[in-house]
Amino acid sequence: MRRARRFNINGILINAAALVLVLSYALPYVYLLTTSIKPAADVQQIPPSFLPAVVSLENFREVLQSSALPKAFASSLVVAVLTTVLSLAVAVPAAYVATQYRRRITTLFLLFALVTRMVPSVSLGVPLFQLLKSLGLLDTIPGLVLAHTSAAVPLALLLMSAFFEGVPKELEEAARMDGCTRFQAFRKIILPVMIGGIAVTGLFTFITSWNEFLYALLLTSEATKTAPIVIAEYNSVYGLAWGAMTAAAVLYSLPVIVVTLALQKQIVGGLTFGAVKG
Amino acid sequence: MSAIELRNVNKVYGNRFHALHDLSFDIRDGEFMVFVGPSGCGKSTALRMIAGLEAITSGELRIGGRLVNDVDPKDRDIAMVFQSYALYPHKTVRENIAFPLQMAGLPKTEIANRVDEAARTLELTTLLDHRPALLSGGQRQRVAMGRAIVRKPAAFLMDEPLSNLDAKLRVQMRAEIASLQRKLNVTTIYVTHDQVEAMTMGDRVAVMKGGVLQQVDTPQNLYNRPDNVFVAAFIGSPSMNLYEAVLNGRTLTLGSNSFEIPERVFEYRPSLNGASNRQVIIGIRPEHMNDAAIRPSSAEISAPVTLVEALGSESMLHLNIDAPWVDAGDPDAVADIGDEKAAVARFSPKSTVRAGDIARVALDAEELHFFEPDTRTSIW
Repeated sequence: MRRARRFNINGILINAAALVLVLSYALPYVYLLTTSIKPAADVQQIPPSFLPAVVSLENFREVLQSSALPKAFASSLVVAVLTTVLSLAVAVPAAYVATQYRRRITTLFLLFALVTRMVPSVSLGVPLFQLLKSLGLLDTIPGLVLAHTSAAVPLALLLMSAFFEGVPKELEEAARMDGCTRFQAFRKIILPVMIGGIAVTGLFTFITSWNEFLYALLLTSEATKTAPIVIAEYNSVYGLAWGAMTAAAVLYSLPVIVVTLALQKQIVGGLTFGAVKG
Repeated sequence: MSAIELRNVNKVYGNRFHALHDLSFDIRDGEFMVFVGPSGCGKSTALRMIAGLEAITSGELRIGGRLVNDVDPKDRDIAMVFQSYALYPHKTVRENIAFPLQMAGLPKTEIANRVDEAARTLELTTLLDHRPALLSGGQRQRVAMGRAIVRKPAAFLMDEPLSNLDAKLRVQMRAEIASLQRKLNVTTIYVTHDQVEAMTMGDRVAVMKGGVLQQVDTPQNLYNRPDNVFVAAFIGSPSMNLYEAVLNGRTLTLGSNSFEIPERVFEYRPSLNGASNRQVIIGIRPEHMNDAAIRPSSAEISAPVTLVEALGSESMLHLNIDAPWVDAGDPDAVADIGDEKAAVARFSPKSTVRAGDIARVALDAEELHFFEPDTRTSIW
């Protein structure tokens, strides 16, 4: 009996701690949501209210009717998807080789990837601008994809390396004994086994590109402006359009939430990959 | 024809570590060969070189008469069972077993027939649609075997396939693998560090140490006629007892004990004749040391008993023999027994000797082994 009671107290404490954590993460987003459904007049009232007195979708109507946002969403989506595909295409095989065929040079390679993560992205803005300008890729989708990929690949490489560290070398060897070339073993056995890790890495890469602000600001203008830039522009010369801005931000956060929920199983599988002995 | 020949095969790693030294031997078609030795002896490296998973630094490797030094693993027509089984976790048992056949481009009906046949042989029929994660250790081991046998390869390579199983299952699978190999009659190389597995399964056993082949022979010959001190101590459990002794004429002096060596010993070890104060290493197996009160012998020694392990069918006595003890050079041996320098004798359970007694031990002197102290090789 005592044992059961103690277990319950532990359970309550753990749940309470989890609730505090969830609230601290969720509260700003909930405030964003509640603000987005307030009528424009209520948004800037003093003192501010957490919950709307009246629910209104006028902010959403406004942002959807504006010509800039849907186009920016399309740009963001294309750039994020292409960045994810390109980053995975580069990082997955590179991480596999770097972890499974360990040499001094592969260790250096991974270290170099880590170092690039330490360079502030703002310091790379100007060189990237000049590089893309000389290539004629300024304010183009391929230009922004390349810039985002350069930022996303090191993270993807490090994440995938961590996942590949958990793959037993024997899997590839067994496939080679079963008649595969090294590449076939990678494609037919290793990649399907790593699907969880690839999903997690892909999601992080997608979010990195989807949320990226600085390069999008520096490297695009009218033609390929992405959504974060358009949302920021609600801070206009006419003042802060809080209502529209929060509505746009809510809409902008939806794809990431949907993708995360869709990949939830793979993400949990990927994050716990190798944690328990199969 | 699927004989495997190794000629002066060497393996030197990039850090100049010489893992295998001039490995040369033949494995006959259909033979069950076991590589055995302590950890780090190069047995797995040798297997992986035969598999094609490790490059050969120098020497020649032939499978079925064909030089395969530079042939890809997939083109060597050999199947391998890994220590970790290396089952494909995303595939069902059926898909795991079918995979090598799919890679070989066999028609679907042929694949289905062969998978069913392999599953029947290994009693996996009811598990064909399960994923490996749902299987027990023994079942996983069977699936790994299924993936190997379904191809009907020229040779099987097995790298400690039973080491992840519990003791009881290991004994059962040991018998199953041995009988399957006899039934299929496929050349098999089996790597283990367990000398009991080696002795019970192999047609012949290759004993290795420090990357050097020590002896290749039948289990019985390895036991009865070991080439050197290492093989003598490694094969047999408990190990052969090894001590320094002095031979003078027919008299052997072992510490404070002396006894006569029977004439027959000098007949099959003629080079011992005419010894005058000759230093030798003698080896005697535990079963050749008996309670003199029960089975008297002309060669008797006395030694204090430090421990008696009564096992029911026999009693293991740990004896403190006052002669210099000889280290056989097995790096794993120290971990196996606490008091490594004690001699072990296998006494009849009827023996009344207790720990603390001074035991009269009757040696079966005809079964003594003699080795050169310098080269540690057998004296014949």
